[in-house]
Amino acid sequence: MKRAKNLKGYSVFDRLLVVFFTLFALLMIYPVYYVFVGSFNRGLDYISGGVYLFPREFTFDNYRVVFADGGLWRAYFITVSRTILGTFTAITFTSIVAYAMSRKELPFKKIIYFINIFTMFFSGGLIPFFLLIKTLGLYDTYALYIVPCAYSVYHMIIISNFFRSLPEELREAAVLDGAGEFRILFSVAIPLSVPVIATVSLWIAIGHWNSYFDAMVYTSSEGLVTLQFYLMKLINSQNVNVGAITLPASVTENLTAEVVTFATIVVSILPVMFIFPFISKYFEKGIMMGSIKG
Amino acid sequence: MEKAKKTTKKYSKSQWALLFMAGLGVVFLLVFNYAPMFGISLAFQSGDYVIDVRDAILNSEFVGFDNFKKFLTDPEFIDVVVNTLGLNVLSLVLTFPAPIIFALCINEVKNKRFKKVVQTVSYFPYFLSWIVFGGIVLSMLDSQTGIVNEIIVKLKLAAGPVNFGLSEYFWGLIIVTGLIKGVGWNSVIYLAAIAGIDASMYEAAEIDGANRWNKMWFITLPSILPTITVYLILAISGLLNSGFDQIWVFRNQMNLDRSEVIDTYVYKHGILKNQYSYTTAIGLLKSVIALILLTVSNAVSKKIAGRGIY
Repeated sequence: MKRAKNLKGYSVFDRLLVVFFTLFALLMIYPVYYVFVGSFNRGLDYISGGVYLFPREFTFDNYRVVFADGGLWRAYFITVSRTILGTFTAITFTSIVAYAMSRKELPFKKIIYFINIFTMFFSGGLIPFFLLIKTLGLYDTYALYIVPCAYSVYHMIIISNFFRSLPEELREAAVLDGAGEFRILFSVAIPLSVPVIATVSLWIAIGHWNSYFDAMVYTSSEGLVTLQFYLMKLINSQNVNVGAITLPASVTENLTAEVVTFATIVVSILPVMFIFPFISKYFEKGIMMGSIKG
Repeated sequence: MEKAKKTTKKYSKSQWALLFMAGLGVVFLLVFNYAPMFGISLAFQSGDYVIDVRDAILNSEFVGFDNFKKFLTDPEFIDVVVNTLGLNVLSLVLTFPAPIIFALCINEVKNKRFKKVVQTVSYFPYFLSWIVFGGIVLSMLDSQTGIVNEIIVKLKLAAGPVNFGLSEYFWGLIIVTGLIKGVGWNSVIYLAAIAGIDASMYEAAEIDGANRWNKMWFITLPSILPTITVYLILAISGLLNSGFDQIWVFRNQMNLDRSEVIDTYVYKHGILKNQYSYTTAIGLLKSVIALILLTVSNAVSKKIAGRGIY
């Protein structure tokens, strides 16, 4: 106890914290590491258990199967395209509304604000929304992934709070130059709000990347299956989808659904893993900005 | 002519532009949030199994509260309500304090770099979908190949491998996985609040001879209390909202009696079996109760802590 205290002013409590948080960090990382290891292991060998730290019988076969899976790539394409298009649409639309809501001189501001806030506390529920989607003709269309996600009150409030904190003089200068409100938004307000715009965009993008509920409920055709929905069906079916390619018998005999699913999972999270280290600090910043209003 | 000019003069050109911009949002909400509220009338009609929506709303008979009665007398009703409330209350009690404790502890770590790394790593699971995260967890729990069962057997914690797919483990699975996936991310908001605390308060406390615990207990915690209150009120109003994505991943044929919650029940009977009126009624019941919970918890918070969210 005493000796511990002498060590560079680190108390026992400090050291316990370090040990605890090291274990904690490992726990956060391990599930992904686990699936990574499994994805490089031969299927038949994996069944006997014990593949936890390194692949025991190393192979690329699982990935050969995954790369030849046409359904997966189609789902990948749907998800990548909806993420890009959906994020762009939503951030543009939401910023426009947020800008108007950040201005004091907006007429009927109180009523408009109430119309927005009320939707956060009360909704018609799943079924009326489902029936609306059908009535609007959005059911089983690609637009379904973009249009209903184009606006979020919560994001609007966060962006709007940031716009409000921008110096008024910049706007006045733009007005003197004869700029209209749209000009001011796109050439003054948005360029000065890159951190919050980037953060909210990333939130929206992650939402698009990870969603499967909309695909499951509001679509029925194969061509609209998203990446996560595809994964879900794969995990539930427990079948190996060898599909288009012909593999030598020595390979197919060794394949199992589980390790192929692992490889598919790895392929599906690679983009998130690569981008994550660069974007995590933005996420944090964004939450802090959103919390200013308290 | 004169009059018409006057009314257009009432607002400047830029105000009209702003009104148009804000109006876009209003139009969106009218279509996607307010229009479905008209569909609520279905809850009081006999519109089950009707394919055409307009037909269902305009032409089906009004049946009063029959749909609500049907739900209350359904044999599954008790299970569904117990699961929804039990699961959500338990996870509120167990997982709500976790990010607060996490934030307070990580704030005590002296090595800035280590702190940063742990924090960043802790967000990671949040960015994986429930399909991916849940799928991996299920593999880790597998009775033959999973590491968790290997540890259980090696340490002789149980007689043999545990089948985590059974009913009795379902709530535990939901709470523990929810905790792991969300604790880091949910702590960010509290860390932001901690970062905003005036440093001079700590300095003053140090001069008065306060130690670490005193500072945490008498400065940090009270300073983030407003943030905690806001999130607690929101969590309470969401007590009937289950994480559909999460539950859908972990449920199976063996644990249905513990995994069926209101949201999955509505999905099953409404979307899959076309009982539109019946499930609209259940959805309405849920929305109303959520609104009541919000109002009550906000009022209680205003009375006790002197502040609410509106």
